[in-house]
Amino acid sequence: MPLLELRDVDSFYGSVQALKGLTLHVDEHEIVTLLGANGAGKSTTLRTISGLNTAARGEITFKGTRIDRLTPETIVRLGIAHVPEGRRIFPGLTVTENILLGASSRPGLKRSAMMDEVEQMFGIFPDLKRLEGALGWSLSGGQQQMLAVARGLMAQPRLLLLDEPSLGLAPIVVQALFAVIRQIRERGTTILLVEQNANMALSVADRGYVLETGSLTVEGSPKELLGNEDVRAAYLGGRREKPLTTSA
Amino acid sequence: MTPHGGASVSAFARLRSRIPAPVVPVLLALLVLPFVPFVHVLSSYALNIFMQASTFAVAVLGLAVVLGYTGQMNLAQAAFFGIGAYAVGLGTVAWGLSFWTALVVGVIASSAFGCVVGLTTIRLGGRYLAMITIACQQMFDFVMLNWVEFSRGPDGIAGIPRPSLFGHVLADDREYLLLCAVVLYAVIFALWWLPDTRLGRDMKAVRENELAAEVTGVHTLRVKVIAFTLSAALAGVGGAFYAAGFAYISPDNFNFARSIEFLTMALLGGSQSPFGAGIGTVLLILLPEWLRFLKQIYLAAYGLSVILIMVFMPEGIWGLLCAAWQRIAKPQRASAVEVPRLALDIATSDPAPILRVQDLKMHFGGLKAVDGVDLQVSRGTVHALIGPNGSGKTTTLNVLNGIYKPTSGRIFIESEDVTALAPHDRAARGVGRTFQNIRLFPALSALENVMVGAQRRNNPIRAGDAALRERALSALDFVGLLDQAGTEVKNLPYGHRRLVEIARALAGHPKLLFLDEPAAGLNLTEKGELVVLLRRLRAAHGLTIFLIEHDMKLIESVADRITVINFGKKIAEGTPAEVLRHPEVIAAYLGEPAHAAA
Amino acid sequence: MNGLSFNIQVLFSGLAVGSIYALVSLGLVLIIRTTNVVNFAQGDFAMLGAYAMLTMFSVLRLPYFLSILLALVVMGIFGIAFNYGVYYPLRNRSYLPVLISTLGAAIFMQNTILALFGPQPAPLAKVFSSQGIEIGGVFLDSQYLVILGVTAAAVAFQYFLFEHTLLGKKLQATSQDKDMARLVGIRTAWMIAITFIYSAMLGGLAGILVGPILFVSTGMAGVIALKAFSSTVIGGFGDVTGAIVGGLLLGVVESFGAAYISVPYKDAFGFLLLFVFLLVRPQGIFGERIAEKA
Repeated sequence: MPLLELRDVDSFYGSVQALKGLTLHVDEHEIVTLLGANGAGKSTTLRTISGLNTAARGEITFKGTRIDRLTPETIVRLGIAHVPEGRRIFPGLTVTENILLGASSRPGLKRSAMMDEVEQMFGIFPDLKRLEGALGWSLSGGQQQMLAVARGLMAQPRLLLLDEPSLGLAPIVVQALFAVIRQIRERGTTILLVEQNANMALSVADRGYVLETGSLTVEGSPKELLGNEDVRAAYLGGRREKPLTTSA
Repeated sequence: MTPHGGASVSAFARLRSRIPAPVVPVLLALLVLPFVPFVHVLSSYALNIFMQASTFAVAVLGLAVVLGYTGQMNLAQAAFFGIGAYAVGLGTVAWGLSFWTALVVGVIASSAFGCVVGLTTIRLGGRYLAMITIACQQMFDFVMLNWVEFSRGPDGIAGIPRPSLFGHVLADDREYLLLCAVVLYAVIFALWWLPDTRLGRDMKAVRENELAAEVTGVHTLRVKVIAFTLSAALAGVGGAFYAAGFAYISPDNFNFARSIEFLTMALLGGSQSPFGAGIGTVLLILLPEWLRFLKQIYLAAYGLSVILIMVFMPEGIWGLLCAAWQRIAKPQRASAVEVPRLALDIATSDPAPILRVQDLKMHFGGLKAVDGVDLQVSRGTVHALIGPNGSGKTTTLNVLNGIYKPTSGRIFIESEDVTALAPHDRAARGVGRTFQNIRLFPALSALENVMVGAQRRNNPIRAGDAALRERALSALDFVGLLDQAGTEVKNLPYGHRRLVEIARALAGHPKLLFLDEPAAGLNLTEKGELVVLLRRLRAAHGLTIFLIEHDMKLIESVADRITVINFGKKIAEGTPAEVLRHPEVIAAYLGEPAHAAA
Repeated sequence: MNGLSFNIQVLFSGLAVGSIYALVSLGLVLIIRTTNVVNFAQGDFAMLGAYAMLTMFSVLRLPYFLSILLALVVMGIFGIAFNYGVYYPLRNRSYLPVLISTLGAAIFMQNTILALFGPQPAPLAKVFSSQGIEIGGVFLDSQYLVILGVTAAAVAFQYFLFEHTLLGKKLQATSQDKDMARLVGIRTAWMIAITFIYSAMLGGLAGILVGPILFVSTGMAGVIALKAFSSTVIGGFGDVTGAIVGGLLLGVVESFGAAYISVPYKDAFGFLLLFVFLLVRPQGIFGERIAEKA
C-alpha cells in the first residue's frame, strides 16, 4: 500500500482550477519528484496534501486514512511535514527557536529531549550550529532553506513535502542542499519533492511526475524523464535538437 | 441593476429604465408624503421626529458617498454636521447673518475640513483613516466644549430662528418640514444619479480595488478628497437645517456617539445606496420611539446590532431587498446592439524605442529584486520578459508601471522621463496594464469596468457619456464579450474575467500594454485565443506589448524579442529562437546539471 | 518647589499616566500582531476591568486583592467571549467589517455598563491607603507608584513570557506567519484566543489601576482608547516596544503641556503629537514603512 495516494484530485487556487483530476502515489522510503513549469500546479499539490488548500474533489489517503478534509495542524500530527515555498522561517525568532517550534506537533516532549534533537539537527546542518542565536531574517537564502528543512524534520515526519527548495539559491548551495536531501532519505523519511530545477531533482529522485496546467503528462524513472522531449517541452515549449544532458 | 444597451439611448431614458415598475407607486407616495401634515393633523412631537429624520438623513447620505460609494471610513461625520449647525447657530444668533448666508458659510467650512481630512489619505488609508477621523471628531468635541468664547461651550446656543423664504418666515413646523423634505429629496436624487457619472464610476473603482483604479488612470487621491469634501458638505447642510429646525444646539448633539449613530444608520440601511441610507435613518430614529421604554438597553442594542449587521448583512437592508429582487425579477436579456469597431490604431512610424529602461534598480532593504536592468522596446513589437520564479520580473513590471519608485535608474516612455510619475499619469500617456491575479472591480458590471478604462485622461474619444459607453462596448465586442456587458464581473468565469481586464486596458486606447502573466489560469483553448488576440493587437493596430509569461509555447508564438532575467539581472536577450536555446537560459530554468562530487 | 523638583514631579506623573496608556496599548498591539485587527474596543476593556473591580470591592465588599484577582478572571472570560463573538465570525473578511464590529462591541459594552450602573462616576479605593511619599521636594503619589510598579512588572512578565517560554514563542510565530505556524502544528486558533484573553486582562488591569485616579465611569473607555491608539501610532504600529515607549512619551508630553501651557487643553497636546506623527512619520518611532504589495 502506498504511503501517500492522491486520487482524481481537483483543487482551486482562488477561483482558478489549479489541479484537474490529479492521481499520484508515493511509496515508503522513496524520493518522488513533481516537475513542471511555474503555474503548473506543483505548489498547489503540496498545499492540498498538507491541508492549506482544500481539495474540491477526489481523495487523499495517508497510511490508509483519508486526510483530504483535515486541518493542517492535524495533518502534521499524522506525520506529514510541509516545508513550503519561499522558506518562511519565522523572521523574528532565532535559529534554535525556529527548530524547536518544528516539534510543536509532538506535545509532551520534555525541553531537554527537544534540545537533544536540536543538537542532532545541527549534526545534519553544521552551518546552522554557529548561527544558533541569529534571528531568522538575518540569514542568507541558503541558510534559511536549511533551517526550514531542519524545522520540518523536527516533526519527525514519515513524509516530508519539500516545495521548491532550490528557489533563488546559488548553484553551489543547491548542491549542498540536495546532498542533505539524500541524507534525509537514508535516515528513513519519505520525500515528495517539488522542483522547477528538473536536473537536480532527477539526480536524487527514484521517480518523477511532470505536471502541466494541473494534470499529469509524464511519469517515470529519472532516466526515462531526462531523455524525454515532453519534459523539456513542458518547461520550454517545442522540440529542440539537443536533448537534456544528464551530466556535465 | 446596471444599465447596458444601445449607446445612443439618452441618459434620462436609461435612468428611467432602472426603476422597476412596482417601485413607481412607492416613489409617488414618498413625494406626496411631506404634504400629508397639511391635510391630517400630526402632533408637534411627530413633526419633530420627521424633522430630525430628514436632517440626519442628509448627513447619512454624506456617509453613503464617502463610505458606500468610495469605500473610505469616516467617523467624524457628526463633527461636520456640527460645523454646519454651529455656523447657522452662531451666524444667525451671534453674527446677525440670515439663515441662507449662514448655511453657505457652514457648507464652505465643513467642506474645507472635509477636504483636509481627504488629503490625509495621501499617506494613509484604511484603519489609519479611521483613527484620524476619530481624532478629528474628538478634537471638534473638545474645541466646541472648551472654547467657550467662541462656541458658548456646554450651554449651547438657543433661539436659532427659522429661515424665511420669499419673505415668509417658516415658523410653521409643517412648512419647514416641507423645505427639509425638498432638500432631502434633491440630495437623494443627486446621489442616485452620481454612480452613473464619470466621478461616480471613479469612486466605485477606488472602493472596489484602489490599486487597479490607480493603474487604470483614476486619480485616486483626487477622488478620495472629493468624496470626503462632498460627504462633509452634505453633513454641513444637514446640520444647518437641524439647527434652524430645533432652535437649540449644544456640543453633545455632535459628538462621537452621534458619528457612530450615523454610521449605524448607513450600515443598517445599506451604505451603497441613497435609499438604503434613508431607510436606515428612518428606522433608527423611529425605533427608539417605539422602544422608548427600553431606552438604556436600546443603546446597547445599537452596538450589538452593528456587529450583527457586519456578520450577517454587510450590505444592509437595501442589499437584502436588491438581492431578493434579483431572484424574483426576470434577468434582462441582452439586446442585440450595433457597436462600432474598436479604434486601436497607433502610429508606428517613429523609429525611436517606445520604452527605454536605464540601469533600473529596485532594492527592498537588503533584497536586490532588480539589480541594474537595461532594456529597450521597439514600437509595434511584442517584447517578453521571462525568468525563473523569484527572478524579479513582476517587480520590474511594477516599477515600469509606477507602482514602486525605483531605487535608482530611469524609465523613458516615448522619450519622456516618466520615472517619477504616478501610475494614473502613466495611464494618461497611453500605458495600459493587466495583473497576474486579475484586478477587476468585482461588484461592477463588465461594462462599467471597461468604462473606467475608457475614462482615462487624454483618451482620444469624443466628449460625453455616450462616447464613453460606446467605446467600452466596442472594447467588449473586440474581446468577444459584448453579450456579458451587464453581468457583474464577480459572476464571470475566470477566462472571461481575464478578457474583461484586457478590454479595460484597450478601452484606454493604449500605446503600450503591460501584461503580467496574461495566460495564467487559462486552459489550452483560451490560451490559443489569447495568442490570436495578441497577434492582432500588434500586427493590425501597432500596439506595443510588454509581457511577463511562463508559458514558453505562448511566448514563442507571439514574442518578437525576449529578455531573460535571473536574480534581478539580465542574462540574455534576443529573438525566441536565440534565447530559448541559450545554455545559460536553459540552466536558469532547468537547473545546473548535477555534479558527481560537490 | 524649585525648578528641578517641579520638573521631576511633572515627569513622574507623566510617566505614571503614560504607563496606563502603555498597558492598554500593549494589549492593542498584541491583537494587531496576531490577528491584524485594530481593536476599537480596547479602551472598553479598561472600563470593564474598573467596573468589575468596583463590583467585587465596593459592592460585594470582598477583600481588595481578591477583588483584583476576580476582576482579572472576569476580564479573561470576557476576552474569550470577545474572541468568539466579535473576531471569529469575521476572521476571513477584510479589515473594514472587523473594525466596525469592534466599534459596535465598544458601544455595546459601554451602554450595557451604563444601563447596569448608571452615569454617575464612582470612586474606587487606591491600593494603599497612604497618600504617598515625599522625596527631596517631590511628592510621589502612592497610586502612581503602584501604576509604575505594576506596569514594570507587566512588561517584565511579558518579556519573560515571550522570550523564555515556548508558549511565548508560539504566540510570536502565530503573529509572524500564521499559516506557517499551522504547518508546524501550532494550534493558531488557541493562540489567538490566548492573545485576546491576555489583552483583555491587560486592559482590565489598566482600568483597575487608573480607576482611583480618574473615577470609574463609562467615559473612561473613550478617553483611554484614544490615548492607547495615539501611543500605538507614535510608538510604531504593531511594535511591542513601541507601544510602551509611545505611551510613556504621550503621558510625559501631556503632563508637561498641562504644567507649562494649560491644564484644560492638555488633551490637545496629545492630539497634536498624534497628528504630527501621522503626517510626518506614520510608521511611528519603531515601526516599518507601510507599503502595499501589487
